[in-house]
This record gives sequence, structure tokens and C-alpha cells, in this order.
Amino acid sequence: MSAQLSSADLTLRYPELGTGPVPTDIYWQPEFYERELDAIFRRAWLCLGRVEEIPEPGDYLVKEIQTFDMSILVVKGKDAEIRAFHNVCQHRGNHVELKPNGNCQVFRCPFHGWAYGLDGKLAGVPDAEAFYDLRREEKGLLPIHLDIWEGFIFINLSEQPDATLEEFLGEHGRDLVGYPFHLGTSTFEYQGVVKCNWKCMVDSFCETYHVPVLHKNSVTDTLAGPNNPFGRLIDVRLKGPHRTSSVVGNMSYQPNPVQGLAFQYAPGPSITSGNIDESVTLPKGLNETRADNWSLDSTVFFPNLIMVIGSGMYFTHQMWPLGPNEVVWQMRGYLRAASNAAQRFGQENSLVELRDAVLEDGNTLERIQRSLNQGLIKEFIFHDHELALRHHYHTVIEWVERYESVR
Amino acid sequence: MARLPNAFSDLDRFVDEWVLADSSSRAAKRQESDYADIKEFYDAMLALAPDALRYLSTKQLGELDEAEERLLKLLLSLAELGPAVEWYQQAQVIDGFPAARFPIIRQLSDNVPQE
Repeated sequence: MSAQLSSADLTLRYPELGTGPVPTDIYWQPEFYERELDAIFRRAWLCLGRVEEIPEPGDYLVKEIQTFDMSILVVKGKDAEIRAFHNVCQHRGNHVELKPNGNCQVFRCPFHGWAYGLDGKLAGVPDAEAFYDLRREEKGLLPIHLDIWEGFIFINLSEQPDATLEEFLGEHGRDLVGYPFHLGTSTFEYQGVVKCNWKCMVDSFCETYHVPVLHKNSVTDTLAGPNNPFGRLIDVRLKGPHRTSSVVGNMSYQPNPVQGLAFQYAPGPSITSGNIDESVTLPKGLNETRADNWSLDSTVFFPNLIMVIGSGMYFTHQMWPLGPNEVVWQMRGYLRAASNAAQRFGQENSLVELRDAVLEDGNTLERIQRSLNQGLIKEFIFHDHELALRHHYHTVIEWVERYESVR
Repeated sequence: MARLPNAFSDLDRFVDEWVLADSSSRAAKRQESDYADIKEFYDAMLALAPDALRYLSTKQLGELDEAEERLLKLLLSLAELGPAVEWYQQAQVIDGFPAARFPIIRQLSDNVPQE
């Protein structure tokens, strides 16, 4: 079987992006990083998790946004509405909730005991008579804009978002509606800090040109394979600030012994198995060219979320920058539930293989950053199938320039 | 009392070392193990894994007795070691980002039923 790969130039479909090299200053300069925080991370919609994490009224999550050293409370109200607040008591500023998750009827600040309802309203102040000018209605928890797309909870840190979540996701979001995200109920998460620019890390999961070389010991045979020696993609599609790369699967892949047993007992086809769950109807935006040798789409929700979606499981990478050359890396897996004890083995294989494969990326990212920091690589030239990286560069520049031009 | 279901008693010699609490402990154990020990465990487990998985596929998480749960945990250690043998022929990922810098912070339970 010959691989179904894009033969036409992908990049030439987007003449506005050009084909030339791009300067690398934005991947290391502290000054540009500060501009990105204001123009992008304080303006764009950012994903914080899934609705299944807080199914019942009173369920809450405390999410630490390390990029801004910010603690955010996400809570499901008695009216089943999910809201987000700064986790900050409006008396003296202590954090109201210290546990990472739980269920409660009221949040009580552990400093002086001020209490807040699930809707954020100030519900109780010990010895309230002793305050001179306490206006309770003005002392509720500070709300944060929140909206939900396909079960994913997004927040927006600006006072007034430029666009609704639906508008922000646009065609990209519309084209992914209908994938059974809700079936990925068995979840796991890895987290670490990598000394690299957040954009370089996003980029490393958007091209497969590196797969036959960097991942030669692990996933080369499944995602590239003999029919695709240079790790070409099926397709790349750019939609607003978001982008999707469609990745080849090797349908005739012969698994290793333990891996093969794991594939057999996985609750849904493993993302690297070359197998597809035919019962899943993919929405328009996944495997958009309907290639018959597709394994997964790597789809970026600008700015910092990547969903890697196969027919039987998906996982996400999320990057929270700590500085121009340091980033918190969160990888979450969403597997289907095990319907018997043996499928727990299939799940464990999925998380172990995923972790090992991405551990192969980390050192390279830190070496790239050292080279950037030293000024030893002044420009990036992009392969046609690194189109997603070129688009990322232009999107970041566009967002920063647009924000600064209207300020 | 047998520590494993009868058909799998040959694996009893691995129980003390390879029945571990959770994914995090299994990952740590792999990092600190000699490859020869990993390979010995892998080979012995692989021989019985098809039967063990067939056996456990008739059971539900949350309903396993202690012996069955030990068998499952041996299989989960096998899953952790699979790539060590099949991809790297060494305990660690080749040129891998240190596993300790990318720990698992939310795990799947080994014994709670899933829905």
C-alpha cells in the first residue's frame, strides 16, 4: 500500500505566510515574552480542564496558573452552572480554598473565616459589625470569564474578551464538534518543567519530520514506517490562530510482543496501533482529507493546548510559560473506561508508551533553547511539512502587533 | 495461601519485587532496576501473559481477590517494562528527558471500577 501523503506543497496554499526563513528572536527574548503575556495569554481563551472533573454541585477545582502565579477556583454551582473566580479572599487576599479539589457548600477563608457561596457571593463575615464600611455586594470573589466547548472548560483573563469562546474557536472548533471526548473518562496526567520556550514545545508536537530520526527507537514504525521514510504528514489545515496536522498511521504495523497484547486488551484502539475504531464517526475537522492511512490529528487550540486525537483515545499537551525559556508541560491522557480487569493492562501500556515517546522530545527542546539563548541560530527555515510552525510564528506576531496597535 | 491464582504460581518468585502500589512506583522501579532483571521478568511474564489476560478479562476491576489483584499488578509492571525491552534494550529511554522531571501526578487506579 502506498502511503496517502500530500504531494502538493502545503505551504503554498497559504501565500500570506511566505516560504522564507523566520527570525528567532521571539523564541528567546525576555522583552518579547512580556509582550506575549499581555497580547496572548491575557487575551486568548485558555483551557483548564473538563466538566467531568466537577460533576456535582459544590464540586470544585483549584487551578494554579503558574504563568501568572495565579490561583483560580472553578466551581459547579447549585444551579449546575460552572463558574471561575480568583481564589482570593476580598478581605486581606489570602487564598480561600487550599485543597486542589473537593466538594463544599461554602468556601471559608482559612485566615479570618470570611465565607463565600458557590456563586462567589460573600455569604458570611465573622464579627461583621466591627467593620466601618463593609459593602457585602462589592466583596464577592472576583469572577473570571468562563465558557465551555465540548465539555472543555475555558477561561479568559481579560476584563472584556475580544471574542466569545465560540467566536475564538471559530471554524476550528465547529469542525471538531461531535468527537466523543466524553468517552475519555479514564484520565492520567504527567507534569514537568522544561527549559525551553513555550512555542518551541508546541511546535515539537505539530510536525512529524522528526519522527523517523528522533523517535527511531519507539514510534517511527507506527507513525512513519517504511511507506513514509521522511515522516511526511497527510495534511495541515490552518483555521484562524488554530492549526491541525494529520498524521500517517502504518496500517500493516506488526506490534512488539507486549505491545501487541496491550493493543488487544486496550479499551479503544491505541493511538499508535495502526487500528481505527470504525464505530467512531469522525467530525469534519479530523482526518479532513479522509485518508485511509490516518492515525491521529495533532490539533492546536491557540495558544497553549494541543489535542492529539485518535479514533479510540486522545491526549493533550498544555504549556504554561514561566519565562522566555522555561515552561510547565502538562500531558493528560483520556482513555476509554476499562470494561474488564485485563483492559487495565492495555491502559497502562498506553500511558507508558506515550510517556516514553515524549521523553524522547525533552532533551532536544532544552538543547535547542541553549542554542537560541546563545544567539547561535538566528533564523528558522521550515520544511513544507513544518507549515504548522510557520503558521504559529505568524500567528504570534499577528496577535502581539494587533494588540499593541489598538492599545 | 497461594499468592497468585493457581495457574500462575510459576510467577510467585516475582511477587515481592514486582507487585507495586501504582504507576508511579512501577516507573520508579524500572528506573532503578538492572536491565538483566528487567529482561528476566519480561521473559517469564510474557510466556504467561496471554493466559493471564484471558483470565482477567472475565473479571471486573474492584472484584478481584488478593491473588488476582497481584496477578494484575504483575501485568501492569510488564506494561511498564515493555518499552524498556522492546524499544530501548535498556531501562531508561535512550537520550530521554529524565523521567523524574516528568512525574505522573494523576494516576489511574489499579483496582477501582471504571465507568
